[in-house]
Amino acid sequence: MYVALTESWNLLGGYAGYVSLGHIAFFATGAYTTAVCMSRYGISPFATFLLGGVFAGILAALVGFPVLRLRGAYFTISSLLLAVVMQLAFLNWEFVGSSTGLWYKPVPVSIVANRTIFYEAMLLLAIAVTLVARRVERSRFGMGLAAIREDEDVAKTMGINTPWLKMKAFILGAFLAGAVGGIYGYYMSYVHPDITFSMNASLLILLMAFFGGCGTWSGPLLGAVALSLVNQLIVTFIGAEISRIFYGLLLVVVIIFMPDGVLPYMRGLLAAKDA
Amino acid sequence: MERATKPGRVSRFRPRGLIGMSYILESIISGLLLGLIYALLSVGFGLTWGTMKILNIAHAVFAVLGAFLAYWIFVKVKLDPILSLPFLAALMFLIGAVVYKLAVRPVTRAKDVVMASMVATFGVATVVENLMSYFWRPDPRVLKPVYSGSSLFIGDISISVGPLIGCAISLCSIALIYWFLHRTYTGKGVQATWQNPTGAALAGINPERVSLITFGLSIASAGAAGVAMAMVYAFYPAVQSVWTLFVFLVTIVGGVGSVIGSALAGLLIGFIIGVSAAFLPFVWTNVILFALLLIVLLFKPEGLFAT
Repeated sequence: MYVALTESWNLLGGYAGYVSLGHIAFFATGAYTTAVCMSRYGISPFATFLLGGVFAGILAALVGFPVLRLRGAYFTISSLLLAVVMQLAFLNWEFVGSSTGLWYKPVPVSIVANRTIFYEAMLLLAIAVTLVARRVERSRFGMGLAAIREDEDVAKTMGINTPWLKMKAFILGAFLAGAVGGIYGYYMSYVHPDITFSMNASLLILLMAFFGGCGTWSGPLLGAVALSLVNQLIVTFIGAEISRIFYGLLLVVVIIFMPDGVLPYMRGLLAAKDA
Repeated sequence: MERATKPGRVSRFRPRGLIGMSYILESIISGLLLGLIYALLSVGFGLTWGTMKILNIAHAVFAVLGAFLAYWIFVKVKLDPILSLPFLAALMFLIGAVVYKLAVRPVTRAKDVVMASMVATFGVATVVENLMSYFWRPDPRVLKPVYSGSSLFIGDISISVGPLIGCAISLCSIALIYWFLHRTYTGKGVQATWQNPTGAALAGINPERVSLITFGLSIASAGAAGVAMAMVYAFYPAVQSVWTLFVFLVTIVGGVGSVIGSALAGLLIGFIIGVSAAFLPFVWTNVILFALLLIVLLFKPEGLFAT
Protein backbone atom coordinates (compact mmCIF):
# COMPACT_ATOMS: atom_id res chain seq x y z
CA MET A 1 0.00 0.00 0.00
CA TYR A 2 2.73 2.38 0.92
CA VAL A 3 4.52 1.64 -2.30
CA ALA A 4 1.55 2.87 -4.27
CA LEU A 5 1.04 5.89 -2.05
CA THR A 6 4.65 6.93 -2.13
CA GLU A 7 5.00 6.47 -5.88
CA SER A 8 1.88 8.53 -6.45
CA TRP A 9 3.16 11.27 -4.14
CA ASN A 10 6.48 11.24 -5.87
CA LEU A 11 4.95 12.26 -9.17
CA LEU A 12 4.60 15.76 -7.89
CA GLY A 13 6.94 15.63 -4.94
CA GLY A 14 10.02 14.03 -6.39
CA TYR A 15 9.75 14.56 -10.09
CA ALA A 16 8.50 18.11 -9.99
CA GLY A 17 9.95 19.07 -6.66
CA TYR A 18 6.68 20.25 -5.16
CA VAL A 19 6.64 18.72 -1.71
CA SER A 20 3.05 18.13 -0.69
CA LEU A 21 2.31 17.45 2.92
CA GLY A 22 -1.33 16.89 2.23
CA HIS A 23 -1.29 13.83 -0.03
CA ILE A 24 -3.17 11.95 2.60
CA ALA A 25 -6.23 14.03 1.76
CA PHE A 26 -6.57 12.23 -1.57
CA PHE A 27 -6.09 8.89 0.02
CA ALA A 28 -8.80 9.73 2.51
CA THR A 29 -11.15 10.88 -0.25
CA GLY A 30 -10.89 7.46 -1.80
CA ALA A 31 -11.36 5.72 1.52
CA TYR A 32 -14.43 7.76 2.32
CA THR A 33 -15.92 7.21 -1.11
CA THR A 34 -15.75 3.50 -0.57
CA ALA A 35 -17.06 3.86 2.94
CA VAL A 36 -20.05 5.89 1.92
CA CYS A 37 -20.84 3.66 -1.03
CA MET A 38 -20.59 0.56 1.08
CA SER A 39 -22.57 1.77 4.01
CA ARG A 40 -25.27 3.68 2.24
CA TYR A 41 -25.69 1.89 -1.00
CA GLY A 42 -24.03 -1.44 -0.50
CA ILE A 43 -21.89 -1.27 -3.61
CA SER A 44 -18.85 -3.45 -3.68
CA PRO A 45 -15.55 -1.61 -3.33
CA PHE A 46 -14.07 -3.20 -6.37
CA ALA A 47 -16.37 -1.06 -8.37
CA THR A 48 -16.06 2.03 -6.24
CA PHE A 49 -12.35 2.34 -5.71
CA LEU A 50 -11.90 3.81 -9.13
CA LEU A 51 -14.68 6.21 -8.32
CA GLY A 52 -12.73 7.13 -5.20
CA GLY A 53 -9.80 7.87 -7.41
CA VAL A 54 -11.94 10.02 -9.66
CA PHE A 55 -13.24 12.06 -6.75
CA ALA A 56 -9.70 12.52 -5.50
CA GLY A 57 -8.68 13.65 -8.94
CA ILE A 58 -11.50 16.16 -9.04
CA LEU A 59 -10.47 17.44 -5.65
CA ALA A 60 -6.94 17.84 -6.89
CA ALA A 61 -8.13 19.73 -9.93
CA LEU A 62 -10.21 22.11 -7.85
CA VAL A 63 -7.57 22.66 -5.24
CA GLY A 64 -4.63 22.60 -7.58
CA PHE A 65 -5.89 25.48 -9.61
CA PRO A 66 -5.13 28.12 -7.01
CA VAL A 67 -2.59 26.22 -4.98
CA LEU A 68 -0.18 25.11 -7.67
CA ARG A 69 0.55 28.70 -8.46
CA LEU A 70 2.35 29.01 -5.17
CA ARG A 71 5.99 28.23 -4.90
CA GLY A 72 8.00 26.06 -2.59
CA ALA A 73 7.21 26.65 1.03
CA TYR A 74 3.86 28.27 0.43
CA PHE A 75 2.71 25.31 -1.61
CA THR A 76 3.72 22.88 1.09
CA ILE A 77 1.90 24.85 3.74
CA SER A 78 -1.20 24.99 1.58
CA SER A 79 -1.12 21.27 1.01
CA LEU A 80 -0.84 20.71 4.73
CA LEU A 81 -3.75 23.06 5.14
CA LEU A 82 -5.80 21.03 2.68
CA ALA A 83 -5.35 17.87 4.67
CA VAL A 84 -6.14 19.51 7.99
CA VAL A 85 -9.12 21.48 6.76
CA MET A 86 -10.56 18.36 5.16
CA GLN A 87 -10.08 16.52 8.41
CA LEU A 88 -11.88 19.24 10.33
CA ALA A 89 -14.62 19.41 7.73
CA PHE A 90 -15.19 15.67 7.77
CA LEU A 91 -15.31 15.72 11.54
CA ASN A 92 -18.40 17.84 11.29
CA TRP A 93 -20.10 16.61 8.17
CA GLU A 94 -22.92 14.21 8.90
CA PHE A 95 -22.95 12.65 5.50
CA VAL A 96 -19.62 11.04 6.25
CA GLY A 97 -20.40 10.24 9.82
CA SER A 98 -18.80 13.23 11.53
CA SER A 99 -16.93 12.29 14.66
CA THR A 100 -18.22 8.79 15.06
CA GLY A 101 -16.83 7.63 11.79
CA LEU A 102 -18.44 5.25 9.39
CA TRP A 103 -18.61 1.59 10.12
CA TYR A 104 -19.86 -0.89 7.65
CA LYS A 105 -20.00 -4.56 7.01
CA PRO A 106 -17.22 -5.95 4.88
CA VAL A 107 -17.88 -8.61 2.30
CA PRO A 108 -18.62 -11.75 4.31
CA VAL A 109 -15.53 -13.87 3.93
CA SER A 110 -13.15 -15.16 6.54
CA ILE A 111 -10.44 -12.97 7.98
CA VAL A 112 -7.71 -14.80 6.15
CA ALA A 113 -9.49 -14.45 2.85
CA ASN A 114 -10.05 -10.80 3.63
CA ARG A 115 -6.40 -10.15 4.21
CA THR A 116 -5.42 -12.09 1.15
CA ILE A 117 -7.79 -10.16 -1.03
CA PHE A 118 -6.44 -6.95 0.42
CA TYR A 119 -2.88 -8.02 -0.12
CA GLU A 120 -3.47 -9.04 -3.70
CA ALA A 121 -5.33 -5.86 -4.46
CA MET A 122 -2.62 -3.70 -2.96
CA LEU A 123 0.05 -5.65 -4.74
CA LEU A 124 -1.69 -5.11 -8.03
CA LEU A 125 -2.12 -1.44 -7.26
CA ALA A 126 1.48 -1.11 -6.24
CA ILE A 127 2.65 -2.69 -9.46
CA ALA A 128 0.27 -0.56 -11.47
CA VAL A 129 1.32 2.67 -9.83
CA THR A 130 5.01 1.86 -10.08
CA LEU A 131 4.61 1.11 -13.76
CA VAL A 132 2.79 4.38 -14.24
CA ALA A 133 5.56 6.20 -12.40
CA ARG A 134 8.15 4.49 -14.54
CA ARG A 135 6.39 5.42 -17.74
CA VAL A 136 5.96 8.97 -16.60
CA GLU A 137 9.57 9.31 -15.70
CA ARG A 138 10.73 8.22 -19.09
CA SER A 139 8.24 10.25 -21.02
CA ARG A 140 8.35 13.85 -22.08
CA PHE A 141 5.91 14.48 -19.29
CA GLY A 142 8.49 13.31 -16.80
CA MET A 143 11.23 15.35 -18.35
CA GLY A 144 9.05 18.39 -18.18
CA LEU A 145 8.47 17.77 -14.50
CA ALA A 146 12.17 17.36 -13.91
CA ALA A 147 12.75 20.64 -15.67
CA ILE A 148 10.29 22.25 -13.32
CA ARG A 149 12.15 20.84 -10.38
CA GLU A 150 15.48 22.14 -11.57
CA ASP A 151 14.40 25.64 -12.38
CA GLU A 152 10.83 26.49 -12.98
CA ASP A 153 11.33 29.87 -14.55
CA VAL A 154 13.79 28.54 -17.07
CA ALA A 155 11.39 25.75 -17.88
CA LYS A 156 8.72 28.29 -18.57
CA THR A 157 10.91 30.28 -20.90
CA MET A 158 11.74 27.10 -22.77
CA GLY A 159 8.12 26.80 -23.64
CA ILE A 160 7.20 24.05 -21.24
CA ASN A 161 3.64 24.48 -20.14
CA THR A 162 4.44 24.37 -16.44
CA PRO A 163 0.98 24.95 -14.94
CA TRP A 164 -0.55 22.23 -17.04
CA LEU A 165 2.23 19.75 -16.25
CA LYS A 166 2.03 20.45 -12.55
CA MET A 167 -1.70 20.03 -12.66
CA LYS A 168 -1.41 16.73 -14.50
CA ALA A 169 1.08 15.42 -11.98
CA PHE A 170 -1.06 16.57 -9.11
CA ILE A 171 -4.27 15.07 -10.48
CA LEU A 172 -2.64 11.83 -11.50
CA GLY A 173 -1.00 11.46 -8.09
CA ALA A 174 -4.30 12.23 -6.43
CA PHE A 175 -6.24 9.77 -8.57
CA LEU A 176 -3.84 6.96 -7.75
CA ALA A 177 -3.83 7.80 -4.07
CA GLY A 178 -7.60 7.89 -4.10
CA ALA A 179 -7.76 4.48 -5.69
CA VAL A 180 -5.44 3.12 -3.03
CA GLY A 181 -7.60 4.74 -0.39
CA GLY A 182 -10.65 3.10 -1.88
CA ILE A 183 -9.26 -0.36 -1.30
CA TYR A 184 -7.91 0.59 2.10
CA GLY A 185 -11.33 1.83 3.16
CA TYR A 186 -12.77 -1.54 2.32
CA TYR A 187 -10.11 -3.39 4.24
CA MET A 188 -10.41 -1.35 7.39
CA SER A 189 -14.20 -1.39 7.24
CA TYR A 190 -14.16 1.74 9.35
CA VAL A 191 -13.26 5.28 8.52
CA HIS A 192 -12.87 8.15 10.87
CA PRO A 193 -11.34 11.55 10.33
CA ASP A 194 -8.64 11.11 12.92
CA ILE A 195 -7.22 7.84 11.66
CA THR A 196 -7.84 8.14 7.97
CA PHE A 197 -6.28 11.58 7.82
CA SER A 198 -3.30 10.59 9.85
CA MET A 199 -0.37 12.98 9.83
CA ASN A 200 1.78 10.01 10.64
CA ALA A 201 1.09 8.54 7.23
CA SER A 202 2.15 11.79 5.60
CA LEU A 203 5.40 11.61 7.48
CA LEU A 204 5.94 8.04 6.37
CA ILE A 205 5.23 8.83 2.73
CA LEU A 206 7.70 11.70 2.81
CA LEU A 207 10.29 9.60 4.54
CA MET A 208 9.95 6.68 2.17
CA ALA A 209 10.22 8.93 -0.83
CA PHE A 210 13.23 10.83 0.45
CA PHE A 211 14.93 7.74 1.80
CA GLY A 212 14.59 5.81 -1.38
CA GLY A 213 15.34 8.73 -3.60
CA CYS A 214 12.92 11.22 -5.03
CA GLY A 215 13.89 11.56 -8.60
CA THR A 216 13.14 8.13 -9.97
CA TRP A 217 10.50 5.43 -9.93
CA SER A 218 12.72 2.98 -8.10
CA GLY A 219 13.39 5.24 -5.18
CA PRO A 220 9.98 5.27 -3.53
CA LEU A 221 9.65 1.56 -4.20
CA LEU A 222 12.82 0.83 -2.31
CA GLY A 223 12.02 3.31 0.40
CA ALA A 224 8.51 2.03 0.92
CA VAL A 225 9.47 -1.61 1.04
CA ALA A 226 12.43 -1.14 3.33
CA LEU A 227 10.73 1.23 5.70
CA SER A 228 7.44 -0.65 5.87
CA LEU A 229 9.34 -3.66 7.04
CA VAL A 230 11.28 -1.68 9.59
CA ASN A 231 8.09 0.01 10.71
CA GLN A 232 6.30 -3.26 11.34
CA LEU A 233 9.27 -4.63 13.24
CA ILE A 234 9.64 -1.65 15.48
CA VAL A 235 5.95 -1.23 16.11
CA THR A 236 5.52 -4.87 17.00
CA PHE A 237 8.54 -5.25 19.18
CA ILE A 238 9.28 -1.88 20.66
CA GLY A 239 6.37 0.44 20.43
CA ALA A 240 4.47 2.79 18.21
CA GLU A 241 5.89 6.02 19.55
CA ILE A 242 9.44 4.77 19.36
CA SER A 243 8.94 3.98 15.72
CA ARG A 244 7.79 7.50 15.06
CA ILE A 245 10.76 8.90 16.93
CA PHE A 246 12.93 6.69 14.82
CA TYR A 247 11.27 7.95 11.67
CA GLY A 248 11.66 11.56 12.64
CA LEU A 249 15.34 11.02 13.32
CA LEU A 250 15.74 9.09 10.13
CA LEU A 251 14.11 11.86 8.19
CA VAL A 252 16.52 14.39 9.63
CA VAL A 253 19.50 12.15 8.92
CA VAL A 254 18.36 11.41 5.40
CA ILE A 255 17.79 15.00 4.49
CA ILE A 256 21.17 16.02 5.87
CA PHE A 257 23.36 13.24 4.61
CA MET A 258 21.62 11.74 1.66
CA PRO A 259 19.17 14.24 0.24
CA ASP A 260 18.94 12.35 -3.00
CA GLY A 261 18.13 9.10 -1.34
CA VAL A 262 19.83 5.93 -0.35
CA LEU A 263 20.69 4.61 -3.79
CA PRO A 264 22.73 7.56 -5.02
CA TYR A 265 24.43 7.70 -1.64
CA MET A 266 25.39 4.07 -1.83
CA ARG A 267 26.59 4.47 -5.36
CA GLY A 268 28.68 7.38 -4.23
CA LEU A 269 30.20 5.31 -1.46
CA LEU A 270 30.99 2.44 -3.79
CA ALA A 271 32.48 4.75 -6.39
CA ALA A 272 34.69 6.34 -3.77
CA LYS A 273 35.85 2.93 -2.69
CA ASP A 274 36.81 1.92 -6.21
CA ALA A 275 38.69 5.13 -6.82
CA MET B 1 -9.69 23.31 19.84
CA GLU B 2 -10.14 22.10 23.36
CA ARG B 3 -10.16 24.64 26.11
CA ALA B 4 -9.60 24.23 29.81
CA THR B 5 -12.01 27.03 30.45
CA LYS B 6 -13.74 28.86 27.67
CA PRO B 7 -12.23 32.29 28.07
CA GLY B 8 -14.47 35.12 29.11
CA ARG B 9 -17.60 33.00 29.18
CA VAL B 10 -19.62 32.99 32.32
CA SER B 11 -22.38 30.50 31.78
CA ARG B 12 -25.59 32.39 31.55
CA PHE B 13 -28.39 31.19 29.42
CA ARG B 14 -28.87 33.55 26.53
CA PRO B 15 -31.72 32.88 24.16
CA ARG B 16 -30.58 33.11 20.56
CA GLY B 17 -31.40 36.42 19.03
CA LEU B 18 -30.96 38.30 22.27
CA ILE B 19 -27.20 38.68 21.92
CA GLY B 20 -26.25 41.38 24.33
CA MET B 21 -23.56 43.94 23.79
CA SER B 22 -21.54 42.79 26.75
CA TYR B 23 -21.48 39.26 25.43
CA ILE B 24 -20.12 40.44 22.13
CA LEU B 25 -17.55 42.62 23.84
CA GLU B 26 -16.45 39.76 26.07
CA SER B 27 -16.02 37.58 23.06
CA ILE B 28 -14.03 40.18 21.20
CA ILE B 29 -11.81 40.93 24.16
CA SER B 30 -11.04 37.32 24.83
CA GLY B 31 -10.40 36.89 21.12
CA LEU B 32 -7.94 39.76 21.16
CA LEU B 33 -6.14 38.33 24.18
CA LEU B 34 -5.90 35.02 22.42
CA GLY B 35 -4.70 36.69 19.27
CA LEU B 36 -1.75 38.24 21.03
CA ILE B 37 -0.82 34.87 22.47
CA TYR B 38 -0.87 33.43 18.97
CA ALA B 39 1.27 36.39 17.94
CA LEU B 40 4.00 35.47 20.41
CA LEU B 41 3.80 31.91 19.20
CA SER B 42 4.50 33.07 15.68
CA VAL B 43 7.11 35.78 16.19
CA GLY B 44 9.94 33.32 16.58
CA PHE B 45 8.83 31.30 13.58
CA GLY B 46 8.80 34.38 11.39
CA LEU B 47 12.19 35.35 12.72
CA THR B 48 13.93 32.16 11.63
CA TRP B 49 12.13 32.13 8.33
CA GLY B 50 13.05 35.71 7.58
CA THR B 51 16.65 35.63 8.79
CA MET B 52 17.80 32.19 7.92
CA LYS B 53 15.23 31.03 5.37
CA ILE B 54 14.53 28.19 7.71
CA LEU B 55 10.97 27.02 7.94
CA ASN B 56 10.94 25.60 11.42
CA ILE B 57 7.91 23.32 11.37
CA ALA B 58 9.02 22.20 14.79
CA HIS B 59 8.41 25.64 16.29
CA ALA B 60 5.05 24.79 17.82
CA VAL B 61 6.25 21.52 19.28
CA PHE B 62 8.77 23.49 21.31
CA ALA B 63 5.93 25.63 22.55
CA VAL B 64 4.24 22.47 23.79
CA LEU B 65 7.53 21.45 25.34
CA GLY B 66 7.68 24.77 27.12
CA ALA B 67 4.17 24.24 28.40
CA PHE B 68 5.07 20.79 29.66
CA LEU B 69 8.23 22.00 31.37
CA ALA B 70 6.34 24.81 33.07
CA TYR B 71 3.74 22.27 34.11
CA TRP B 72 6.32 19.96 35.65
CA ILE B 73 8.06 22.83 37.41
CA PHE B 74 4.72 23.92 38.78
CA VAL B 75 3.76 20.43 39.90
CA LYS B 76 7.07 19.32 41.35
CA VAL B 77 8.54 22.50 42.74
CA LYS B 78 5.30 24.45 43.21
CA LEU B 79 6.83 27.41 41.43
CA ASP B 80 4.30 29.60 39.69
CA PRO B 81 4.70 29.52 35.89
CA ILE B 82 5.14 33.27 35.72
CA LEU B 83 8.05 33.08 38.11
CA SER B 84 9.64 30.13 36.38
CA LEU B 85 9.35 31.83 33.02
CA PRO B 86 12.80 33.46 32.88
CA PHE B 87 14.46 30.20 33.80
CA LEU B 88 12.31 28.38 31.28
CA ALA B 89 13.17 30.84 28.56
CA ALA B 90 16.88 30.42 29.21
CA LEU B 91 16.52 26.64 29.17
CA MET B 92 14.60 26.75 25.90
CA PHE B 93 17.27 28.99 24.43
CA LEU B 94 19.84 26.35 25.21
CA ILE B 95 17.66 23.63 23.76
CA GLY B 96 17.24 25.75 20.68
CA ALA B 97 20.98 26.16 20.35
CA VAL B 98 21.48 22.39 20.57
CA VAL B 99 18.78 21.67 18.00
CA TYR B 100 20.33 24.28 15.77
CA LYS B 101 23.75 22.71 15.94
CA LEU B 102 22.47 19.20 15.36
CA ALA B 103 19.67 19.48 12.90
CA VAL B 104 19.42 22.93 11.44
CA ARG B 105 22.90 24.08 10.62
CA PRO B 106 23.74 21.10 8.38
CA VAL B 107 20.62 21.89 6.40
CA THR B 108 21.68 25.42 5.61
CA ARG B 109 24.25 24.03 3.22
CA ALA B 110 21.56 22.45 1.07
CA LYS B 111 20.63 23.55 -2.41
CA ASP B 112 17.13 24.47 -1.41
CA VAL B 113 17.30 25.57 2.18
CA VAL B 114 13.62 26.22 2.60
CA MET B 115 12.55 22.76 1.47
CA ALA B 116 15.31 20.94 3.24
CA SER B 117 14.71 22.82 6.47
CA MET B 118 11.01 22.04 6.23
CA VAL B 119 11.62 18.35 5.88
CA ALA B 120 14.29 18.28 8.55
CA THR B 121 12.23 20.22 11.06
CA PHE B 122 9.24 18.03 10.23
CA GLY B 123 11.41 15.18 11.42
CA VAL B 124 12.49 17.07 14.51
CA ALA B 125 8.89 17.90 15.33
CA THR B 126 7.92 14.25 15.07
CA VAL B 127 10.80 13.20 17.27
CA VAL B 128 10.09 15.74 19.99
CA GLU B 129 6.34 15.16 19.91
CA ASN B 130 6.72 11.44 20.28
CA LEU B 131 9.41 11.74 22.92
CA MET B 132 7.01 13.84 24.96
CA SER B 133 4.25 11.39 24.26
CA TYR B 134 6.38 8.47 25.27
CA PHE B 135 7.69 9.89 28.51
CA TRP B 136 4.81 12.02 29.63
CA ARG B 137 1.86 10.18 28.13
CA PRO B 138 -0.43 11.75 25.60
CA ASP B 139 -3.11 12.82 28.06
CA PRO B 140 -4.11 16.46 28.15
CA ARG B 141 -2.65 18.58 30.93
CA VAL B 142 -3.83 21.82 32.37
CA LEU B 143 -1.82 24.51 34.06
CA LYS B 144 -3.87 25.57 37.02
CA PRO B 145 -2.19 28.20 39.10
CA VAL B 146 -4.22 29.92 41.79
CA TYR B 147 -5.57 32.65 39.62
CA SER B 148 -6.51 30.65 36.55
CA GLY B 149 -10.16 30.08 37.25
CA SER B 150 -11.18 33.52 38.30
CA SER B 151 -12.40 36.45 36.26
CA LEU B 152 -11.97 40.16 36.35
CA PHE B 153 -15.06 42.26 36.12
CA ILE B 154 -15.05 45.57 34.34
CA GLY B 155 -18.54 46.89 34.56
CA ASP B 156 -20.72 44.31 32.94
CA ILE B 157 -17.90 42.47 31.19
CA SER B 158 -16.02 39.58 32.63
CA ILE B 159 -12.50 38.78 31.52
CA SER B 160 -11.02 35.49 32.45
CA VAL B 161 -7.73 35.89 34.27
CA GLY B 162 -5.98 32.98 32.60
CA PRO B 163 -6.01 34.41 29.10
CA LEU B 164 -5.27 37.82 30.55
CA ILE B 165 -2.07 36.61 32.15
CA GLY B 166 -1.20 34.71 29.00
CA CYS B 167 -1.67 37.86 27.00
CA ALA B 168 0.45 39.81 29.46
CA ILE B 169 3.22 37.27 29.07
CA SER B 170 2.94 37.60 25.32
CA LEU B 171 2.99 41.37 25.33
CA CYS B 172 6.05 41.50 27.55
CA SER B 173 7.85 38.88 25.48
CA ILE B 174 7.02 40.52 22.18
CA ALA B 175 8.16 43.86 23.55
CA LEU B 176 11.38 42.25 24.78
CA ILE B 177 12.07 40.72 21.41
CA TYR B 178 11.35 43.97 19.63
CA TRP B 179 13.62 45.82 22.01
CA PHE B 180 16.34 43.23 21.48
CA LEU B 181 16.10 43.44 17.71
CA HIS B 182 16.03 47.18 17.47
CA ARG B 183 17.95 48.52 20.40
CA THR B 184 20.77 46.15 21.12
CA TYR B 185 23.90 45.67 19.11
CA THR B 186 23.39 41.95 18.69
CA GLY B 187 19.82 42.44 17.70
CA LYS B 188 20.73 44.92 15.05
CA GLY B 189 23.28 42.44 13.84
CA VAL B 190 20.46 39.96 13.43
CA GLN B 191 18.51 42.45 11.38
CA ALA B 192 21.52 43.28 9.29
CA THR B 193 22.17 39.66 8.50
CA TRP B 194 18.59 39.28 7.50
CA GLN B 195 18.61 42.23 5.16
CA ASN B 196 21.95 41.57 3.58
CA PRO B 197 23.96 38.56 4.72
CA THR B 198 27.04 39.38 2.70
CA GLY B 199 27.07 42.99 3.72
CA ALA B 200 26.61 42.09 7.33
CA ALA B 201 29.47 39.63 7.17
CA LEU B 202 31.64 42.28 5.59
CA ALA B 203 30.75 44.59 8.43
CA GLY B 204 32.23 42.09 10.83
CA ILE B 205 29.08 40.40 12.02
CA ASN B 206 29.53 36.71 12.53
CA PRO B 207 26.70 35.00 10.61
CA GLU B 208 27.13 31.76 12.51
CA ARG B 209 26.67 33.45 15.85
CA VAL B 210 23.74 35.43 14.55
CA SER B 211 22.02 32.30 13.29
CA LEU B 212 22.60 30.52 16.54
CA ILE B 213 21.26 33.40 18.61
CA THR B 214 18.28 33.89 16.36
CA PHE B 215 17.31 30.26 16.49
CA GLY B 216 17.81 30.07 20.23
CA LEU B 217 15.73 33.19 20.70
CA SER B 218 13.06 31.76 18.46
CA ILE B 219 12.78 28.58 20.48
CA ALA B 220 12.87 30.51 23.74
CA SER B 221 9.96 32.62 22.54
CA ALA B 222 8.17 29.44 21.55
CA GLY B 223 8.59 28.13 25.06
CA ALA B 224 7.22 31.32 26.56
CA ALA B 225 4.32 31.19 24.12
CA GLY B 226 3.68 27.64 25.21
CA VAL B 227 3.32 28.80 28.79
CA ALA B 228 0.96 31.55 27.65
CA MET B 229 -1.08 29.04 25.65
CA ALA B 230 -1.18 26.76 28.65
CA MET B 231 -2.90 29.52 30.60
CA VAL B 232 -5.80 29.27 28.21
CA TYR B 233 -5.90 25.78 26.77
CA ALA B 234 -5.29 22.26 27.86
CA PHE B 235 -2.31 20.82 26.05
CA TYR B 236 -0.97 17.44 25.01
CA PRO B 237 1.88 16.43 22.70
CA ALA B 238 -0.24 16.00 19.61
CA VAL B 239 -1.74 19.47 19.83
CA GLN B 240 1.46 20.80 18.30
CA SER B 241 0.12 20.22 14.82
CA VAL B 242 -2.90 22.38 15.57
CA TRP B 243 -0.68 25.08 17.04
CA THR B 244 1.57 24.83 14.00
CA LEU B 245 -1.38 25.75 11.84
CA PHE B 246 -1.99 28.87 13.88
CA VAL B 247 1.66 29.75 13.61
CA PHE B 248 1.38 29.54 9.84
CA LEU B 249 -1.79 31.56 9.91
CA VAL B 250 -0.38 34.43 11.91
CA THR B 251 2.99 34.45 10.18
CA ILE B 252 1.62 34.47 6.68
CA VAL B 253 -1.05 37.03 7.41
CA GLY B 254 1.40 39.19 9.29
CA GLY B 255 4.34 38.96 7.00
CA VAL B 256 7.41 36.86 7.48
CA GLY B 257 9.97 38.17 9.92
CA SER B 258 8.22 41.27 11.08
CA VAL B 259 7.63 41.36 14.81
CA ILE B 260 5.11 44.16 14.60
CA GLY B 261 3.46 42.37 11.70
CA SER B 262 2.99 39.27 13.75
CA ALA B 263 1.56 41.26 16.62
CA LEU B 264 -0.88 43.07 14.36
CA ALA B 265 -1.85 39.89 12.58
CA GLY B 266 -2.39 38.27 15.95
CA LEU B 267 -4.72 41.07 16.94
CA LEU B 268 -6.59 40.86 13.67
CA ILE B 269 -7.00 37.12 13.94
CA GLY B 270 -7.97 37.45 17.56
CA PHE B 271 -10.60 39.95 16.62
CA ILE B 272 -11.96 37.66 13.94
CA ILE B 273 -12.06 34.79 16.39
CA GLY B 274 -13.89 36.92 18.89
CA VAL B 275 -16.49 38.16 16.47
CA SER B 276 -17.16 34.82 14.83
CA ALA B 277 -17.34 33.05 18.17
CA ALA B 278 -20.04 35.47 19.24
CA PHE B 279 -22.26 35.00 16.23
CA LEU B 280 -21.50 31.69 14.60
CA PRO B 281 -21.37 28.11 15.74
CA PHE B 282 -18.02 27.23 17.14
CA VAL B 283 -16.61 25.28 14.25
CA TRP B 284 -17.11 28.01 11.73
CA THR B 285 -14.40 30.07 13.39
CA ASN B 286 -11.74 27.72 12.11
CA VAL B 287 -13.25 27.70 8.65
CA ILE B 288 -13.12 31.47 8.48
CA LEU B 289 -9.53 31.54 9.69
CA PHE B 290 -8.34 29.04 7.15
CA ALA B 291 -10.26 30.76 4.41
CA LEU B 292 -8.44 33.93 5.40
CA LEU B 293 -5.13 32.13 5.25
CA LEU B 294 -5.90 30.78 1.82
CA ILE B 295 -6.92 34.19 0.53
CA VAL B 296 -3.79 35.84 1.88
CA LEU B 297 -1.64 33.07 0.45
CA LEU B 298 -3.15 33.50 -2.95
CA PHE B 299 -3.24 37.24 -3.19
CA LYS B 300 -0.67 38.66 -0.85
CA PRO B 301 1.77 35.98 0.28
CA GLU B 302 4.15 38.52 1.73
CA GLY B 303 1.58 39.23 4.37
CA LEU B 304 -0.86 41.98 5.10
CA PHE B 305 1.43 43.89 7.42
CA ALA B 306 4.77 43.24 5.81
CA THR B 307 7.44 45.84 6.33
